[in-house]
Parts: sequence; structure tokens; C-alpha cells
Amino acid sequence: MDIVLQQLVNGLTLGSVYGLIAIGYTMVYGIIGMINFAHGDVYMVSSYLTAIAIALLTFFGMESFPIIIFGTLIFTIVVTGAYGWVIERVAYRPLRNSSRLSVLISAIGMSLILQNYVQISQGARQQGVPTLLTGAIRFDVGDGFVQITYMKLFILFAAFLGMGVLTYIIQKTKLGRMCRATQQDRKMASILGINTDRIISSVFVIGAAMAALAGVLITLDYGAFDFYVGFIIGIKAFTAAVLGGIGSLPGAMLGGVILGLSEALFAGLISSDYKDVFSFSLLVIILIFRPSGLLGKPEVEKV
Amino acid sequence: MSKAVVRKTLISLAVASAAAVAQADVVIGVAGPHTGAYAAFGEQLWRGAEKAAMDINAKGGINGEMIKLVKADDACEPKQAVSIANRLVDSDEAVAVVGHFCSSSSIPASSIYEEAGVLMVTPASTNPTLTDRGLPNVFRVCGRDDQQGDVAASYIVGDLGAKKVAIIHDKDTYGKGLADAMKATMNAYGLEEVLYEGLTRGEKDFNALVTKIRSVDADVVYFGGLHSEAGPLVRQMREQGLTAKFISGDGIVSDEFVSVAGSPEYVDGVLMTFGADPTSYPAGKEVVEQFRSEGIEPEGYVMYSYTAMQVVASALGANDLDPVAASEWLHSNKVDTVMGTKQFDDKGDLLVSDYVMYEWDANGKYSMMDN
Amino acid sequence: MSQQTNGISIAAAVKDTIIAGLLALIVFGPVVGVLLDGYEFNLRAGDVASIVAVVMAGRFALSVFSQTEFGKAFLYRQSTKDDGVVVTAPDYKSKMRFIIPLVIVIGLIAPFIASKYVLTIVILGLIYVLLGLGLNIVVGLAGLLDLGFVGFYAIGAYGLALGYENLGLGFWSMLPLAAIMAAISGAILGFPVLRMHGDYLAIVTLGFGEIIRLVLTNWTEFTHGPNGVSAPLPTLFGLEFKRRSKEGTPFHEFFGLPYDSAYKYIFIYLILFLVVLAVLYVKHRLTRMPIGRAWEALREDEIACRSLGLNHVLVKLSAFMLGASTGGLAGVFFATYQGFVNPSSFTFFESALILAIVVLGGMGSTVGVVIAAFVLTVLPEMLREFADYRVLMFGILMVVMMIWKPRGLVRVTRTGFATRKGTVK
Repeated sequence: MDIVLQQLVNGLTLGSVYGLIAIGYTMVYGIIGMINFAHGDVYMVSSYLTAIAIALLTFFGMESFPIIIFGTLIFTIVVTGAYGWVIERVAYRPLRNSSRLSVLISAIGMSLILQNYVQISQGARQQGVPTLLTGAIRFDVGDGFVQITYMKLFILFAAFLGMGVLTYIIQKTKLGRMCRATQQDRKMASILGINTDRIISSVFVIGAAMAALAGVLITLDYGAFDFYVGFIIGIKAFTAAVLGGIGSLPGAMLGGVILGLSEALFAGLISSDYKDVFSFSLLVIILIFRPSGLLGKPEVEKV
Repeated sequence: MSKAVVRKTLISLAVASAAAVAQADVVIGVAGPHTGAYAAFGEQLWRGAEKAAMDINAKGGINGEMIKLVKADDACEPKQAVSIANRLVDSDEAVAVVGHFCSSSSIPASSIYEEAGVLMVTPASTNPTLTDRGLPNVFRVCGRDDQQGDVAASYIVGDLGAKKVAIIHDKDTYGKGLADAMKATMNAYGLEEVLYEGLTRGEKDFNALVTKIRSVDADVVYFGGLHSEAGPLVRQMREQGLTAKFISGDGIVSDEFVSVAGSPEYVDGVLMTFGADPTSYPAGKEVVEQFRSEGIEPEGYVMYSYTAMQVVASALGANDLDPVAASEWLHSNKVDTVMGTKQFDDKGDLLVSDYVMYEWDANGKYSMMDN
Repeated sequence: MSQQTNGISIAAAVKDTIIAGLLALIVFGPVVGVLLDGYEFNLRAGDVASIVAVVMAGRFALSVFSQTEFGKAFLYRQSTKDDGVVVTAPDYKSKMRFIIPLVIVIGLIAPFIASKYVLTIVILGLIYVLLGLGLNIVVGLAGLLDLGFVGFYAIGAYGLALGYENLGLGFWSMLPLAAIMAAISGAILGFPVLRMHGDYLAIVTLGFGEIIRLVLTNWTEFTHGPNGVSAPLPTLFGLEFKRRSKEGTPFHEFFGLPYDSAYKYIFIYLILFLVVLAVLYVKHRLTRMPIGRAWEALREDEIACRSLGLNHVLVKLSAFMLGASTGGLAGVFFATYQGFVNPSSFTFFESALILAIVVLGGMGSTVGVVIAAFVLTVLPEMLREFADYRVLMFGILMVVMMIWKPRGLVRVTRTGFATRKGTVK
């Protein structure tokens, strides 16, 4: 019993982080219909930025947890957002009117560029950040126990807060309305006076910012990263986005949580060797029965 | 014309003539993952080999010929290893190769070197298959996974008296080979593992696996893999309140292990098998100090790579730069290196394996255990 | 002010430059400028300054260039690339009829002159040509985005290695068998996913590709997991290309030649070259047959096709199976060329590379695929001179090539039709 509960906690934290990264995929897909393969690497860059921010802040003598965490969050989100903007401007905007596959290849190229640029500038070494928040809560369950670190609680809190803020922006603000309008019909939106290029740019910035939030949280929790971490987590988050229905914000979060939970439960109760086989099979099965994902709108084709 | 000027001219003439002699260089490839996910190890290989080549060249090279190194990048991909091996043999006309790093690259590449009669000395590929195929030109200056597994298993069963052992590996040639070797010896001692699982390289979240280890109540966790996964694994174990002993192999020998684990407190008490400290040999003292004075810590495979280069140089030197003769010569002759005197058996493995147990302490340093 | 429209506004260029410089500072500043060292760091302001300077200079040049007459014309050409295919005149004779025999002659002579290293690169290039042709049927012609193509490649490669190990089947029996095996798995994969469109299909195929790789890694009893399996070399009427043969005489002894490992590569090259020619021919014919037309029609408009009575399941399935079998063939050659297979050769990145070949070549264009396959395999080898910057350069070139030629290197042309002269009306 305690083991299952612990696995649920594991899955939930992992899944909420997948969900944050999945948002970047799903928003970009929703607005310009492209798979942004470089998104996982944007997350990777934010891991480095987290470590850099912590190193700089501690150097200037700021040691308390709240200051470090807020300083790091602001710094990482701003700089990663700039990455999102620059990548879109340089590699995707010139291809705005080309086929979607050309943009896909450009994105794959961008992913290689980011990985190798970081490897060259920061070295190929494994990197780490110091542990900032230690300690855990322990519940006794039966004759076993469930242990949740404060960091994990913080991740859950921050991830859902981030989701809440984003939902507010998309649903209630002017920027959000323009985003939704552009998503529904780009041409019409631009006729109505929306600068769609700017909206697309801001979607990339928002996606990168969410990836940065995930980057800060994961990096602080696991403490370890290298220039290659974006790849696996990127594929997982993309899977989560498709699972939940690509283009749908709540779907991204739901897909992330489902993926995280299924991975943790399968690895914990059956076999960790085949856990990825299981998650991909789950994806295939769900898509066979619901071809647009869990919360996605079915594509209606009109003649 | 002053004397100083004359002397300078003479010196520059001497240098120029030395450079002219050096035209007929001995080309030696340094093959490893210089890019990609394992580039950190490629860097270690290159540092050691480069330093060794510089030192040998400073002493007049091999029989008067200067060593010219060629950096060959295989990114730890077998496909690239084959193509780079062909390039080394063919375009660069290398007579010997120090490398590769990953066993999965060394194995296909070694066949190409064998066909071309090129001497290959790997500082890091520990998979038994590499030398078990009986190629005459393949040597390694590191141990074999099965030797390492033996040492770990006898320590776990004998010294620790463990009852419940969980074995985790990273599903890669090295990690799984190591875990399997340790499992085989442990089973031969009559102890069955309570858990045998693989994790995925490149991931950092092993919480689910850790919970599973907790559910089987293991008192020892043996991990076959590298520090990039070992760090998060041991940290997440401690975070979930699991106090089982963590034991691994030479894949975690790197100062990065501590920073990857997040804090020295997490690596405290971690055990590992590793060749007797490569920086502790009296013969290598000077080289180690030179490395440190250049600001480079000769960690991990740096000294192994240096040693491999020395083995290559001595073998070529004793056989008029003929790599085929050098390969035969190495099977029956000893070589003095910065890691002591090395001697090879018929397969190209070291005659004496020197694996011992190491322990990490609360300051994030490792030291040999006295036993 | 009226002069401004034609002149070059330095002020605007300077403004662009400053913005670019600031962005470069934000983007490159932390990652390049602060070198992490454990939990501490070292500053490298010089590198940041030079990168920012290069970016600013580049932006300024670009800004000024885009304001010149020539630059404006250039940008206009770039932004208004017309789409669609080029239809040639009905009596147009392609220059290819001179080029193709020339290429065949060069291709047959080449291995005897080229060095072994060059030969291995060319073999790799040809393997990617096969892969590109296979995926081109699926993506380029049938319009089904497949991100797991590497799975079929793996099936071919492991088919040869495991078939030899368990059943004693050699290269020649596995060559057709692997193609059939890959085609069957293509059908198994194709069947459930035919309902899906576009990117859902992409992610499902990606999932399948990953599942195949993960099973190869984890099913150690059968596939030996990460340790890999060795694969046999092809034989010439039972003659082996090894230095010493276990059974019978090796090739070089039979002909009384001194041993040279290049023979084996020459032999692999020649078989591969012939197979590639055969596949090219088959594909060329297929695109002109009803089935090829049906693929393209389905890509353009599925609903219209179904209304006209086309069996879309069969058409899609045939594309999947043909593509997969070509991938399987490529896998057999890859395994025999490398002499060893393990799962690390079949990652998602490989699928992406094959897709890049198809897109860069120009979707649906056969010649384009051949050119792109060589560009993308030879390029990383040529970039070895850049050492550590190799893959970075490769990525940059990928982006630049896409921006420069978004429709691919070669435009698809279509033969025009007209009523024949002299027919009775």
C-alpha cells in the first residue's frame, strides 16, 4: 500500500513537469501547426541558466532559499523567453509560408545547434546544482511509510500555479484573446488587425517560459543535468501533448500527468525495463480509439 | 655578432632540423566520443594521450620519429566508429590507435584495425567480448568487467554479508556487462538477487525505481553504469529514506559524481570498484603533478589514456614502428608506464587485475578502503 | 523624406543592430560568459564580447543589404517562391538520359580507384539513398508523415544478424527475406494507424520506432541487448571475403590475389549499387503506374479520392509496405557493412536524418533524394576538419538549407501530355 502511494506521488510530480513542457509543444502546434523539436533543448538551456543563476546569486552572497528561488526563476524565465523569441525569428519565421515539413527539419537542425552550442560553451561535463531545500515529510502507512521531499511539494505547487497563471493569461487577457483568435484563424485574425507575427512570437516566448519553469524545478529537484537532457524529456513531453490532444492546454497537463503516473506505476509494479514500451503502447492504443487525443477536438474535414 | 645571437641562431637551426626530421611522423589515432553525450570521457582520453605524446616527443619521439596525434570522433556510435576507423587506417595512415571509449564502438572498430594490422590499445573499454574474440592486435590497459564484478561480489557477500541485493544497470554494453558479471559471481556464492532491473540512460527521474527497491527491502544496491545516472539514483534513494548501501563500478569515478548527486552528503558511504588509484603509482607521480600544475585533474581515464599511449610508444619503439610485430611483442613483453609495469596475456588483457574497493566520504572525495 | 524610400537608412540599420546586439547579449551572455565549474563559475567576458560583435556586424550588414535594390529584389524572390510542380512540355526530352548512363559507368568504375575510406563513405551514402527512397514513398508520395522509419531499418539489420546466428541464413537469403519481414511489419503498423491524420500519425509511428528499439535493447535473451550481434559478410558463390575462412577457400586465395580488406567493401558496394539502381528503376516506374498516381492523389485530397472509389486503405497500406521493405533492404546492407549491429544505431535521430533527406531532396523527387542522401552523409565527414564544431555546423547548415530552399533541392517535374499529332479526329 505504502509503495503504491509513493509511486502515485512519484508519478504526479514527474507528470506535472511533463505537462509544463508539453504546453510549449501544444501551444506552438495549435497556432502554427508545427512540431517544435527544439523545445526539449530550450528546456535543457534553462537547466544551465538555473545553475548559472544560482552560482551568480550565491557569489553575491544571497543564500536564503526564497531569494535564490525567485531570482533564479526570474532570470531563467526571462533569458529562456529570449531564446524562444530568437529561435522563432531566426529559424522558423523565414519558413512561415513553406510546407510544415520544412519547418520540422529546421527545428531538428535547431535542436542540434542548441545541444552543440551548449556543449562547446559549457563543456561536455555533467553539471549539478547544490541542494537548496532539504528535508521531507513522512507519513506512516500501515507498516510502511511514504516520504515526500519539500522540493517535490514545491514542484507540485509551482507547476499548478504556473498552469493557473497561464490559463488566466489565455482566457482573460487581451494577449490571450489575440492568441486564441490567431489559433482559430490566422488570416482572419490578421484582417481584424492582430499582428499575427507578434502573437506567434509571444507564443514561442510563453512556451519557452513554461519550459524554463520546468527547467528550474527539475534542476533543483534532481540536481543533475547535461547538454543532452532535453532529448528524452522532450520526446516524453511531446507524447504527453499528443496524448492529451495536441492544441489543448488542459490536455497537455492531463497528458503529462497520465504519462507520469503510468510510467511510475508500470516501472514500480511491473518492470522498469519496459516502462517506455508501455507508455508508447498506451499512446498508440489511446490514439487508435481516440484519434485526436483525450481532450483534442476531432479534425473535421470539409470538402 | 654577439655570442647570444650566434647561440640563438644555432638553436633555431637545431630546432628547424629537428622539425625536418619530424616530417616522417608516426601517426597515432585517439578515438573516442569527442562529441555527443559522452564527450566528457572523450576529453579525458584526449588529455591523457596528448600529454603522453608531448612528453614522448619532448624526449625525442619514438626512435627519433615524432608522434602526430589524430583526434577521431566516434560519438560512441558504432556506425561512426566503423567509418572513423577506416579513415584512420586509410587516409591518416595511422599505425596505432588509442581508443575507443565505448565497448560498443571498440568491438566493430577492432576488426578493421585487425585487418589493416593496426595496433589498438583501449584505455577504457572493459567489455569482455572485446578481447575474447582473440584478435592479435587488441589490448587494453584497463580491467575487464568480469574481474571487476568478481571483486564487488566477493565484497558484498563476504565483507558486507549482505542478504538482499538489488542489481540495477543502465542497459548499455558497459553497465549491463558489469551488472551481469557481478550477478554471476554472486549467484555462484549462493546468493540470489532480490531485484534485477534496467534504467534508461539520459533520464534523471528514477523515483519509481527507487520506490521499487524500497519495496523489496534491499540492503545493498549494486549499480552497473555511469555517474550521470548514479548521481541522481543515489540522491533519490536517500531522499526517499532508503539507506541501503550503494555500490558501483569504475563508471562513477569522476569528481562530477558529487556535483551530479547534488551534495557530498548523498555520496557519503558509496562504494565502488576501481583499479588501484591511477594517480597513486610512484612512476606516475611527476606526470600527475604536471597535470595538476596545468590546472587539470588527472581523473577518470586520463592516466589510463596516458598509459595506453606509453604502451603503444614502447611497443612501436621496440619493433621499428611495425605495428604487427609490435602487437606480437606486447603479448610477451613488459612495459613500464606511469601506472606501473604492465604485462598482457594472450588475449590482450592485463595479466594482473588490480581492482580494489573505494569509498566516498562526506567531503565528496574517494579513497581506497584498507582491507 | 521622400528620398528615404529609395535610399539606405543608416539610422534604421543602426537601430536593428543595437536590438540584435542586446538580444545576443541576453542570449549568449549567461551561457557563454559564465562557465560553470562545479558549483562555482569563471567569467569569460571576452568570448561574449566577440560573439555579440559578430552578431551586430552581421545584423548591420544584413540590414543594409536588405535596403539595397538588389537586396530588396532578393528578399522579394525569397518571399514569393511559387509552389507546385513544373510541368514540362510534352515533347521535352530530359537531360537525364545522358546523365544516367554516365553516372552508372562512373559508379561501376569508382570503387576500383577510390580509397577504402572514401568507399565506406559512399557505401553509407548509398544506404541512406535506399532509406531515403523508402521513406520518400511514404512521406513524399503518399503524404503520410512517418517518424519511426528507423524501425524497419532495424528489422532488416537485425534480421540479417539474428537470421545468421539462429538459422544459419546468409546474406543472400536474408536480403529478400528481410525486405518481406519489413513489409509485413509495415502492414502491421500501417493497419491501425490509417485512420489518423498528419501529426497524430507522426507520433504513433515515432512510438512504434521507439518500441522496436526498446525491445531490441531489453530482450537480451534473443537480441543480446546493448552488446549487439555480429552480422555476416556477403559471399560470392560461396567464396568468403575474410582473411581466413572456416569453410572453403576465401575469395583472395581462390583467385590467387594477396589479401586486401578493400575487396569486401568493393563487393558490398557493387551489390548495393545494383540494388539501388533496381530500386530507383522500380520507383520510377511505380510513380507512373496507377498505384503511384493513387498515392499522390491521396496525398492531395483524401476525400476526393474516396468519392472517386479509390480504396484508401489499400493505397496507404501499399505505400507503407513498399517503403518499409526498402528500409529493410537498407538495414541488411548496413548490418553487413558494419559487421555488427546494436540498438544504438537505430535511435530517433536516425529517423529524423532520413526525414531530412526526403525533405531536403524535395518531397517526392527521386533525384533530390539521391543528392540529399549524399549531402547529409558526406557533409558530417567533410566537417570532421571542424572537429568539435562538426555537429554544430551540421545543424546550422540544416537550418540554412531549409531557409534557402524550403521546397528542397530539386523541384518535382511532371511530364506534360498532349494529343499526339497525326491522330484521326
